[in-house]
Amino acid sequence: MALATTRRRLLTGGAALSWFLVNGSWLHISAAQARAAGFSPQKLTGEQCKTLEVLADELVPGARAAGIAPFIDSQLTAGDASLLIAKYLGVPPEQQLGFYQAALDSGTRLLATQDLSAAFAIELISKDEVLNWQGAPASFFSFVLRADALDVVYGTEHGFEQLGIPYRAHISPQEPW
Amino acid sequence: MKLDTERMHSLDTIIVGAGAAGLLLAARLAETGRHVTVLEAGPKRSTSDLISSQIWARRLKWSGPHVEELGDHKVGHAFNAGFGTGGSAVHHYGVWLRLHRGDFSVASDHGVGLDWPIDYDTLRAHYDSVQSEVGLSGDAEAEIWRPEGADYPMPPLPIFAQGRVLKKGFDKTGRRTAPLPLAINSQPYRGRAACQYDGWCDAGCPIGALANPLVTWLPRAQKAGVHIEHNAFVNRVLRDPNKTSRITGVEYFQAGERHTLHAQQVIIAAFTVQSARILLSSADSNRPAPGNQFDQLGRYLTSHPAGTVFGLFDEETYPHQGVSGGQLISHDDYDQKNQGAAFGSSQWLIAHAVKPHDLLGYGTGRPDISGEKLKPWLRDAAKHVGSMTLVAEDIAKPENRISLSEQRDVNGIALARTEHNLDARTAQLWEQRIAEGQDIMRAAGAREVWHGPRVAMHIMGGTVMGNDEKLSVTDSYGRVHDTENLYVSGPSLFPSSGAVNPTFTLSAIASRQAEHLTKQAD
Repeated sequence: MALATTRRRLLTGGAALSWFLVNGSWLHISAAQARAAGFSPQKLTGEQCKTLEVLADELVPGARAAGIAPFIDSQLTAGDASLLIAKYLGVPPEQQLGFYQAALDSGTRLLATQDLSAAFAIELISKDEVLNWQGAPASFFSFVLRADALDVVYGTEHGFEQLGIPYRAHISPQEPW
Repeated sequence: MKLDTERMHSLDTIIVGAGAAGLLLAARLAETGRHVTVLEAGPKRSTSDLISSQIWARRLKWSGPHVEELGDHKVGHAFNAGFGTGGSAVHHYGVWLRLHRGDFSVASDHGVGLDWPIDYDTLRAHYDSVQSEVGLSGDAEAEIWRPEGADYPMPPLPIFAQGRVLKKGFDKTGRRTAPLPLAINSQPYRGRAACQYDGWCDAGCPIGALANPLVTWLPRAQKAGVHIEHNAFVNRVLRDPNKTSRITGVEYFQAGERHTLHAQQVIIAAFTVQSARILLSSADSNRPAPGNQFDQLGRYLTSHPAGTVFGLFDEETYPHQGVSGGQLISHDDYDQKNQGAAFGSSQWLIAHAVKPHDLLGYGTGRPDISGEKLKPWLRDAAKHVGSMTLVAEDIAKPENRISLSEQRDVNGIALARTEHNLDARTAQLWEQRIAEGQDIMRAAGAREVWHGPRVAMHIMGGTVMGNDEKLSVTDSYGRVHDTENLYVSGPSLFPSSGAVNPTFTLSAIASRQAEHLTKQAD
């Protein structure tokens, strides 16, 4: 059940995970619910979120609906507590916002200026064949984004169920993602 | 400050780091009547924090100040290190293997790296006593490569479908396997439950079947009165201004405030990179850092080059079943270190329980499969994938080192910086073995074979033990050479890496240290 709260309560509770701003209220909901409810991003722009969804959904179908944009945006507010896989790949939390912003701005330009299909854009990105790409190498960004998308689509009890894998948690995650 | 004045005045020992080494030492020393306080950089954790989710589990990894990493084989500190009670051993896989005899003398035998100041026989009794206390499952007789030692206290874990499938590849290529020895209960042991084989080891084991410090050393330490101060980030050790060999305590930061704590003895067990950082930060304008009189502090940083080989089979493997570390082991090539252009020992850890996502997941390792092809492929892999991991020896080199960065954290403490490059012979070893691993997968019947990238597994060295003060930082008991009462514990003491997972050996060393310190006090 969604729970409205104040920004102050959010911060003092230390629960940056799975709290999303929707229509002026902070809600404790899943990333998928946040996406469906029209969440307001805190770190990424609306344009960056849109590009994020297009690219991620091409890499891992279902990523958009599973809430890839609110998931990454919320983790970018978490500071040292960020759980993004980028942390293990040489992108520490303090650099993650710049990492995503630069790549997504490049992706936005790529999709807009050449009117490419998402599939072709991903092909160019994964082969480092995008002119004037900014930030970390495009192929590396593609790898990271694919891993993020796998997290939100298949890294959950629901995701395991889709693949026919028994989840068999010792302690079940409190959050549906 | 939460520590009371009386405790501060009566402290015998400060231990920095509540990981496998730190908590073993804390328990053993406190059980002899010592007053011990442990300072842990991360938060307090208990088994109820160990959520079965690869995403949630990332909070168990290092979340302290960033470590700058350079070189062609970066050590992967954020992945390998832990944060909070139990340290990295909370998310370790429980693969507990003894070093082989030849691992202790690579310089004498082969002219590479460093010799250890002790041999296998020096550690043998401690391997035996620790395995009895912690509980290991395995089949010592089947491990024909295993050095002499007591039998395992528990029988091996069962071999599931994936293990049986992959074993065929080893059999057909003339390689031998044995059940993987694990610090995981195959049956109830000393009040702890038996494993349920659900593959959540990487996320921590809340049922206590895997011997992480939260269920082994921590209860003993708490019962013996050890105090653990969490979120206490140690900057440096403090020296007696009138006697530089005497360490008087440590300086640490907690919630942005600077504190000092004093004791008769200080043990730094903060995992490899942070242990070296703390010592390096303890230099001042008049004196080099403790243990750095000959510029050895931070040197001989090592990390096992590892790689995972995957195969997709027609047979069902059910890769969700089992434990993260694997089901079988092969050490057939271990003792042939010198192979011309390639050098080093290596081992195969065979048949991991794996998930579809996360860094070690089978989905992450196939970036060539995406879009509409992905879900059917993942559904296939979820029942038919097999995997095994190569762990190779790293050559200890002085130029691979931990140093201090120009950058500082929010408290003004210099960040740690690592530089690690692989020797060409080590890189060659990795290439050869990964190629062989793919042949083994094909021999096992895989219809698709691929491998992941070369990754850094485990971090060792930097405060290496040795007999020669000009080539090491500590003596064989971990006492920093130019000090009376400052010790280091953990994998940073390893002069060379061998090719086995380090937790058993660092625990045996800590056991030997505890015995030494107890006798010293008597």
